[in-house]
Amino acid sequence: MNTAEALVDFVRIWFMIGGVVAAFFLVIGIDRIDEDARGAYVFRPLIVPGILLIWPLVLWRWWVLETGRDNPDARFHPVRSAHGVAAFSMAIIITVTVIIGLSNRQEWPADFEPVRLSAPEGTSQ
Amino acid sequence: MSVKYVPVQWNKNKWYYNFFMVAGVAGFLFLFLYVSPQLLSHEKSINPQVHNARAFGACAFLMLSIILCIGPLARLDKRFLPLLYNRRHFGVMTAFVALTHFGYILDWYFAFSKSSKYETLIFSNTSYGQIVGFPFEAFGLIALVSLLILATTSHDFWLKFLTAPVWKRIHYLIYVAYISVAAHISLGILQDQQNHAFTAIFLVAALTVISLHVIAFLHERKSGDPKAQSDTDGWVRVCEASEIPEARAKIAVLPNGDRVAVFRMDNKLSAISNACAHQNGPLGEGKILRCLVTCPWHGFQYDVRSGRSPAPFTEIIPTYKIAVRDNVVLVDPNANPPGTYVEPVEVPA
Amino acid sequence: MKKDTTPFFVGYLKPAKKLRSFLLAVGVGLALLLTTFGIVIGGTQDDPGYGSFRFDYGPQTVSGVVEMLPYPILHVTDGNERVPAGETLMLTAGGKTGVAQRAARFDGKKVKATGVVLERGALNMLQLRGGKRGLDAIDGEEATAPTPEPLGKWKLAGEICDGKCLAGAMRPGRGLAHKACAALCLIGDIPAVFVSTKPVEGADFLMVLGKDGEALPKAAYDYIAQYISVEGDITRHGNLLVFTIDPGTIEVLE
Repeated sequence: MNTAEALVDFVRIWFMIGGVVAAFFLVIGIDRIDEDARGAYVFRPLIVPGILLIWPLVLWRWWVLETGRDNPDARFHPVRSAHGVAAFSMAIIITVTVIIGLSNRQEWPADFEPVRLSAPEGTSQ
Repeated sequence: MSVKYVPVQWNKNKWYYNFFMVAGVAGFLFLFLYVSPQLLSHEKSINPQVHNARAFGACAFLMLSIILCIGPLARLDKRFLPLLYNRRHFGVMTAFVALTHFGYILDWYFAFSKSSKYETLIFSNTSYGQIVGFPFEAFGLIALVSLLILATTSHDFWLKFLTAPVWKRIHYLIYVAYISVAAHISLGILQDQQNHAFTAIFLVAALTVISLHVIAFLHERKSGDPKAQSDTDGWVRVCEASEIPEARAKIAVLPNGDRVAVFRMDNKLSAISNACAHQNGPLGEGKILRCLVTCPWHGFQYDVRSGRSPAPFTEIIPTYKIAVRDNVVLVDPNANPPGTYVEPVEVPA
Repeated sequence: MKKDTTPFFVGYLKPAKKLRSFLLAVGVGLALLLTTFGIVIGGTQDDPGYGSFRFDYGPQTVSGVVEMLPYPILHVTDGNERVPAGETLMLTAGGKTGVAQRAARFDGKKVKATGVVLERGALNMLQLRGGKRGLDAIDGEEATAPTPEPLGKWKLAGEICDGKCLAGAMRPGRGLAHKACAALCLIGDIPAVFVSTKPVEGADFLMVLGKDGEALPKAAYDYIAQYISVEGDITRHGNLLVFTIDPGTIEVLE
């Protein structure tokens, strides 16, 4: 149960850090790195849940953009070739999982008759 | 597309889209939740919490299956592209339906004990070493977290902030989610139930999804974009000029793996990157509308000569130097910086 | 290149007429398909069994003798119409918690117990009210628990569950989808129950204990909700059969 507590604490801390990152990013960062966000405030709460979940990525991109390390050409390299890997992995893993699942499925042993292995001590059958 | 971000962009087509989506989900849930109990001739009824959890769980699975069919269907038949247009709303709704399923399960099977329900979710069943009786909830949790990441990063801000390739890589989590859901179901409810109607529906849905993806992949390999052939001075041959219809493009894969789209507008050719600045949609499969290249995915537009979106929009994409020799279209595979103007090359009609 | 005649769709423009009818068909088709699945999946769910809380009886007060097995049971001596004398009830608290600690000091003593009955055929459980209102000694009255009657060593097939969900606290309250919940109840000291494929000496449900008469051993937890065969001694306590299993003999059935 300590593992469970530790894991739940980990998630809680993850979200707490995410909350701090969200506050700083949405108040300070977003205006600095995205001109489309300047003067746009209503959409910002919508961004919060995403930051809570993937805040390390947010910090990384913020740093990349803030320090001018962004490679503008990198935006134009779609990841199309990954579809084949995804499609076949999905097909194989799902097929295998379903087969494993269904072939191990148990049926209620309705015909099993209780067996008396021995009589209680001190009695005879 | 917007100059300033807004929470949700709406237009008439999105309303229609959401109408059908909500109608399907509402129809599913209404019949499952309120009509099906009357059909079941159980002496004692199923607990409402379990009944609700099943309704939302099955609904989320079917929604996810439909969502996963949209991509390959649109590749195989362009008439399905409109289903792609507002897919993110479908995805966000699926995440909410899945979250509701999670909520009912958590507040029923994992509640009412002395420990917190989040902890009990982790420690109640730890039989990880076996197939039958495996804590299948873990797969559900993986799927849910994946769906939540997808839903919460669906705003256009994230596309621009993370860049389309990074965003797309994150959104490959949809496959992780579907695999996990399939495992969650296979090791969960399929082990348990005696009536196999859902098993059959599950198998048909999963089989449809995986076959469509494999078929779309094979189709793409067979009749996908051709490779550009190398020519002199490091330039490459894309196609014959006469092959490009007015207002449309021919796409070719460059030696570095990027794709160039060569458009014909008023019998002049221009070459731009095939990747839309928004979500890296295939611009070359789009069309020139009112002098602007229009992306087939979400309708982002660019001036074909400069790769710039019309004001007030600010998106820019790379352009390519282009030449025509003996009716053969040649491009320099080294892309110009995004937004660089290139004089179009005149060709006969 | 073959001519592409598909009307070009732009999200923020009105679709071409040809495309509109196609999209209408797809939209209506998908909505109808989902709706149909709603009734098909919802209408083909398994029967969750006939156990339930008997809130309709109202709170029941009976007296009897507590026996710690170590799961506490109550041999009813003064019953009522709903819970007659001679009945043996498993005891539990609200939620996923047993009452072993509360009941221990009343072991072998006569008590008054008040609570809600959970009933599934011959399986009876009493969910006690809190504190003394739920369980309190009756001073000055003597009573003894019935002498346990050994019934020999048996091999049974079936499923280990938690007695409370099985008795009807949850419907369905057994099976693999419910495994984690059953384990949670058992961790909370709710009596473990074995569901036998066929009645043993007239009982489908037996309280299940470890080899030395302790609460369900951890070694058996992996097998909760699976269909297994297992060996152990059966003893009759009042009208409740108690199955002390040897986890080493557990076999997972095909």
